[in-house]
Parts: sequence; C-alpha cells; structure tokens
Amino acid sequence: MSDLSSVRDTVAHGPAAATTTDFVAAQRVNRRNTALLLIALTALAALLGYMIGWTIEGEATDSVPLWSRLGVGAAGVMAAASVGWSLVSLAVGDKLVLGMASAKEIDKQDAPQLYNVVEEISIAAGVPMPKVMILETDALNAFATGPSVRRGTIVVTRGLLNTLNRDELQGVVAHEMSHIANLDTRYMVIVGVTVGLIALVCDMLLRTLNWGGSADNRSSSGKKKSSGGGILIILLLVIAILAPLAAKAVQFAVSRQREYLADATSVQFTRNPNGLISALQKLAEKAAPFPGVSHATQHLFIVNPVQRFTKDTPALLATHPDIQDRIARLRNLGA
Amino acid sequence: MSFWIVIGILVAIGAWLIGVYNGLVGSRNQGQTAWSQIDVQLKRRHDLIPNLVQVVKDAMGYEQETLIKVIQARNAAVAASGNPAQAGPAEAALTVATRGLLGLVESYPQLKANENVKQLQEELTTTENKIAFARQFYNDSVNNYNTRRQSFPAVLAAASLGFGPMDLFTMPETEKEVPKVALR
Repeated sequence: MSDLSSVRDTVAHGPAAATTTDFVAAQRVNRRNTALLLIALTALAALLGYMIGWTIEGEATDSVPLWSRLGVGAAGVMAAASVGWSLVSLAVGDKLVLGMASAKEIDKQDAPQLYNVVEEISIAAGVPMPKVMILETDALNAFATGPSVRRGTIVVTRGLLNTLNRDELQGVVAHEMSHIANLDTRYMVIVGVTVGLIALVCDMLLRTLNWGGSADNRSSSGKKKSSGGGILIILLLVIAILAPLAAKAVQFAVSRQREYLADATSVQFTRNPNGLISALQKLAEKAAPFPGVSHATQHLFIVNPVQRFTKDTPALLATHPDIQDRIARLRNLGA
Repeated sequence: MSFWIVIGILVAIGAWLIGVYNGLVGSRNQGQTAWSQIDVQLKRRHDLIPNLVQVVKDAMGYEQETLIKVIQARNAAVAASGNPAQAGPAEAALTVATRGLLGLVESYPQLKANENVKQLQEELTTTENKIAFARQFYNDSVNNYNTRRQSFPAVLAAASLGFGPMDLFTMPETEKEVPKVALR
C-alpha cells in the first residue's frame, strides 16, 4: 500500500501549490510529483510481478519459498512494462486524446481571433505557440493536452467560439495555457496511467487469489496454508477492492486542485479576472454533455463534459470544482 | 600545506565566478529575448496603423484630426524605436492615439460594418495586447536580472564581468479613460 500513500502525499501537496500563482513553482511541484508517481508505479508493478511469480512457483513446487526466482523475473518484466507504458502514454497520449475527440487543427485564416488570442497568451506566459484546434460541436468547452511545454495543444469547441466575446475567450485560453505552462497536462497523463494500473493490478490480484483459493480446495493436502495466510488473503481482498476506488478519488482531488490553480494562473496572464468570470457564467448556464468524450479524458476539460455537477454532487466524485465556487475565488482575486 | 590552501581558495573563487557569470548570462538572455518579442510587436503596430488609417480615410471620404494625430504619433514612435528608454514614452503616446482611432471606428456604424476595417481592428487589438503582455514578460525578466546583478555577493563581480543594468520598458499611462472622439 506504500504506493497509494505516496499518491496521497501528492494530494497533500496540491493545496500548497494552489495557494501560489507562481507557475514556475507549480511546474517544479508537478515535475517532482510526476517523478514520484512514476517511481511508485514502477515499484507497484514490480511488487505485483513478484507476488504472481511467487504464487505460481509456490503452487508448482508445493512449498512457499521466501525468495522466488520466478518472482524476481516476473517483477523485472512488470517493472519494464510499466516504465514502457508510461513512456508510450507520454509520447502518444496527446494524439490519442485528440484522435478520440476528432478535433481539427486550424491556422490563422480559419479563425483569426482565436489564433490571435492564443498567440497573445503564449507571449504572456513566455511559452512557445501551441497548436490550436477546433472541435465541431455546439457544446461549450475547451481543453489542453501535450507532454511538454513545447508540444502543447489547445482545443476549443465551435459552440464556445460562437458564444464567447473576445475577453471571455481570452480568459478560457489563458486557463488552458496555464495547464500547459504548469505542466498539468503531463502530470495528469501519469496520474491517469497510475490509476489505470492500480485498477488493473487489483483486478489481477483478485483473479490470482481466486485461482489460488480454488487450487487449494482441489488439492487433497491443505497443509501449506496456515490460518495466518487466511487473514493475509482477506486483507489482500479488502485492499484489492478498495484501492481502485481510493485511487479514483485521489485522481479527482488532484484534478480539482489543478483547476483552481489554472484559474489563478489565467488571471496572472491576462490581468483581467472578469473575462474568465463571465466565461464561466456562460459555461455554467450552457454546459452540456457531448459525444466523443470518455470518462478517461473528462478531467482535461475546463468544465466537466460528461456530467453536470451541482452543489449536491458529492465533492469526492467530481473532477472539477463547483463553477460558482470557482467564480467566487476569481472575484476574490479581482478585489 | 598553505600552498594547497591557496590553490583551494583560488579554485573556489573561480567556481563561484563561473556560477555568477552563467546565472547572469542566462537571465540577461531571457530579457533580450523578451525585448525582441516587444520589438517585433511594436514594428507590427507601426506597419498596421497606416493601413487602418488609409481604410478609415477611404470610408469616411475626408481626413479627420484623430487620423492625423495617429500618424504623427506613429512616425515619432518609429523614430524612437530600438531603445527601451526612448521608445517607452513615444509608444505610450501612440497607444493613446491608437485607442482614439479604435474609438472612432466603434462610433461609426458604417466603419464597424466594413470587412477590411473589422479585420484591421482585430489585428490592431491583438497587437496592442501582445505589446502589453510582452512588456509584462520583459519587465519581469529585467527585474529578475537586475535583482540578481545587485544581490550580494554577485554585486562584487557583476560590473567587472561586464554586466550592466538593463532598462525597464515603461509606457506612462497618460490617459486611463476611453478617449473622447470628436467628429469634424
């Protein structure tokens, strides 16, 4: 469980990062948390590999060796696989997301004002000009993706472009630009991979325990498993069931903190909280779910594209903070 | 023994000088990059304004006082360009004149409807914003550089290594409210 507690540490750092609007510091925190998550992820994968190898070797030889050679081998394979998975996610994750959402890249002629606004904010943030894309839907939304500051992409929907005025568009683009400048885009990819792997690990653990249990029933001699082993197995079962839920809650908490920080950084870029405030008011009125968005990418958007959250939604299950709460915080910045 | 102590002290001073030098070079380069960004946007504004003035003049059929003022301010700004200290006041004056021009466009429905004017208006708006944001970024970089340069103990070595102070780019806000537009 050390892996999960390190994820919790990450969350504990979230609020500290959210109180500052310094995006250089936010980048540093996100870089460190990304590295910590990667290490935890690799350790978790290695541990699972060892447990599976150990179980198989134990079943095959009818003894429970503390040092399992098969386990060490499997741990190595799993660690390599998890590092590989993370690297692949970082390398092609943005393309996958953009492909899923079927957004089209534009240049200046297609939407001069949008292109100009993105250029302005990239100057304010001191980052290279990201790619600009439009998603053909009437829903009002926007998101950012990209594994590094140099390879960012900002996507807005056609509905957003048609509804917002220049100042409001500038506020939304600045919010997305801060996700890129703060390296939230990279961090959330690794968080997503971690949560996915924890779910997979626990699923496999449940299957392994099930298989081990039935094999034990089949064998006539149940001598190798003591009552201590039984308690261990129950403990493992509870962990395997609860860990994915806890990991999801952690992911959502991280996502909410990143949204507050991006709102604050947006105002640091534009020096105009009113643009983002009035954009969020329009989004609150007209936000609607739209097709082509999966639960896997919902945390990337400026407002949640899958579900509408209200004050009554349990905060634990929300990827985004309540919009009224975000507006209230922005008003405080402006005062 | 004392020979090695002297050598050790010299090596430590050398390492410290290298650190100071590299740090100052890094932040001075950031400032210079930021300045070149401002320069690009100021040139763009200098190029855009005559176009917009021409289009407005064609649409209105006569040359109005606001237009003459804008062109004068533009020519003064072009003459002062290249040096942050001199360009600041000239560009500030041009910003005020440009706001007057944009205000003129806003108050004339036939101008607002003109496609060419609309396009130039958007270009001029984005250039104004880019100048403001680039200035913000440039001044942050210069403040960072100057603070580094004046901090103890780097201040002991900065001047003799050839790191002079950098100028902030200030555009004094002479007029905060939207300028009144008088027609004729």
